Amino acid sequence: MPAGRLVGFVGRNGAGKTTAMRIALGVLQPDAGEVRWKGERVGALGRRRFGYMPEERGLYPRMRVLEQLVYLGRLHGMRPADARERAADLLQRLRVEAALTDRVESLSLGNQQRVQMAAALIHSPDVLILDEPFSGLDPTGVDVLARVLRGEAAQRGVPVVFSSHQLDLVERLCDGVILIERGRVVADGTIAALRASRSRNMLRIDTDGAADGWWEAVPGVDLEERVAGGVVLALTEAADPQRVLDVARAQGDVTRFGAVQKSLGELFREFVEDGAGE
Amino acid sequence: MNRSAETDRGTWRLVARRDFWVRLRERSFIVSTLINLTVISVLILIRGLGGGGTPSFELGVVGESAVAQRLAANPAVAGIAVMLVPFQDTEAARASLRSGGVDAVIDGDSLVGLHTIAGPLQQGVQNAAASLRIEERVMALGGGTEDVAYVGETRPIAMGVLEPGDPDRDQNGAIAFIGVLLLYGQLFGYGVWVSSGVIEEKASRVVEILLSTIRARQLMAGKIVGIGLLGLGQLAFIATFAIALGLLVGAIDLPGSAIGAAGLVLGYFVLGYAFYASLFAVAGSLVTRMEELQNALVPINLVIFISFFISIGALQGPDGTVVRIASILPTSSALAMPVRIVLGSAEPWEIVLSIVLSVGATLLLIPLAGRLYAGALLRTGARVRLRDAWRAAA
Repeated sequence: MPAGRLVGFVGRNGAGKTTAMRIALGVLQPDAGEVRWKGERVGALGRRRFGYMPEERGLYPRMRVLEQLVYLGRLHGMRPADARERAADLLQRLRVEAALTDRVESLSLGNQQRVQMAAALIHSPDVLILDEPFSGLDPTGVDVLARVLRGEAAQRGVPVVFSSHQLDLVERLCDGVILIERGRVVADGTIAALRASRSRNMLRIDTDGAADGWWEAVPGVDLEERVAGGVVLALTEAADPQRVLDVARAQGDVTRFGAVQKSLGELFREFVEDGAGE
Repeated sequence: MNRSAETDRGTWRLVARRDFWVRLRERSFIVSTLINLTVISVLILIRGLGGGGTPSFELGVVGESAVAQRLAANPAVAGIAVMLVPFQDTEAARASLRSGGVDAVIDGDSLVGLHTIAGPLQQGVQNAAASLRIEERVMALGGGTEDVAYVGETRPIAMGVLEPGDPDRDQNGAIAFIGVLLLYGQLFGYGVWVSSGVIEEKASRVVEILLSTIRARQLMAGKIVGIGLLGLGQLAFIATFAIALGLLVGAIDLPGSAIGAAGLVLGYFVLGYAFYASLFAVAGSLVTRMEELQNALVPINLVIFISFFISIGALQGPDGTVVRIASILPTSSALAMPVRIVLGSAEPWEIVLSIVLSVGATLLLIPLAGRLYAGALLRTGARVRLRDAWRAAA
């Protein structure tokens, strides 16, 4: 787990994201394998240095916010005064400082979620594992949460892993992704590397006056799809984009030329389809 | 379980502290304390103020009645105090009887009550009538005042028993009754609190966060200890209050035995609660909603209720076979044994055996319960079967 980075943990429903996170936190026992952090097996004490936000939110509904955060902090081994100070600071950063003495059940769901995030962060964890932290939040809530997560990652170098079905969000926030399917990691790396490994370079070229099939003259180039006004071409490693451009210009006027990036959503679908086909 | 055990050893104390303080501030705790205090106060006041003293009666008299005169003039003979209320006629006397103005009416040769006539009053009136007739006959036969005085003099014959019972038995019985009532309420009430505390954590899903910092067994231990200490504290408070009030109003003549009984109740609460609490925790972990708890608790409830029933029976016959067995078995000893001890029927070896069995059974039960609890805790939705819970924690 790289320090100070945000990693998206994606996969289909039922692929094993929540189970993997629960095992990492010691909530569930693995059938096989073990949880390692910095090369060492993680025991109960090590787990107390993890921060966790479960998919099914959970706080004592009738306990007051500050009291509850201090209690959770103490379970993680904090001293009461430190826990109180940290809780107040987190609630302020999460913009729910007004809720300090409210009972959790009296808060809106969005604010409960922010308190839940504070609960995951209370003990300044070395690793953050968050199960669907953004689901159900309005855009403002997403921004507030994202800023806090980035802050933790940047200032304290905490690696953050979060699962999400909102792939555009993962793409926007994360440095890397881990994709799992049926309990197995099928991809792990930066989004750019993932793109490179999965799909050949894509070029979108719109031409004016070029004959259909002009690209067939260039070695290592295949038609990916026809789009309005032009084509998307898939290039093998060997193919040179500049050569493609030269050929196109020889055929007619090039009105548009650029690399096409697949969205994480498209990559995700490709992986899942591959997985399903195995 | 291959995680290192020594790392989070103290965390159960934090859990215990939370469970103690959160519940101490809960309305249901305050209400249950007040109800307990009220019930006990009433029991003590009835005993303290109602008992003792000479029973006194208001006796209506229609016209003249020598019997009534005799009774009123010499009440000590009958052991009662009588106030005479004269009436002009039968109607007026009966009206007063109906309205509760008098306890009974002497009308000519008959004694009339409303629904019943109190025993001591009946006896007093009959005695007075009998002695009047004897005196009349003595005088008719020519007896002087000495003779009349002689037959009128009561000379009760001395009484004795070969094997005297415990003179304090009555009071000890009352103490045992209050004690077993308290123990039953406390064992059951705090057991249910353990169950519902587990459900609260399960239903609100906070348990998942808790389990990421603390192991299930520590969580269970903390909850049981925290709630148990609260129950013990409440019991000690109630016992102190009851003894103080009892001494104040004169319901307790033997402070030593009352304090001893209170100590017994506290001690057996600890034993009984320790035995049952882990079972209550398991019952709570099997279900997700409060509504389902009643069903999950049926077996435990039944055992505790039967134990309570036997213990109430033990107040009358502390030496019966069923009672003796119940006072030794760990499932019922916490309720039945203190009754037998207070009534002086328990042999020392029986007491020791019951304590050893109770502690032993508890020590056996806790790891089993801990495993079931750990296995069931994260399963929500349908009620978890014991077999599945057992396997899940393997």
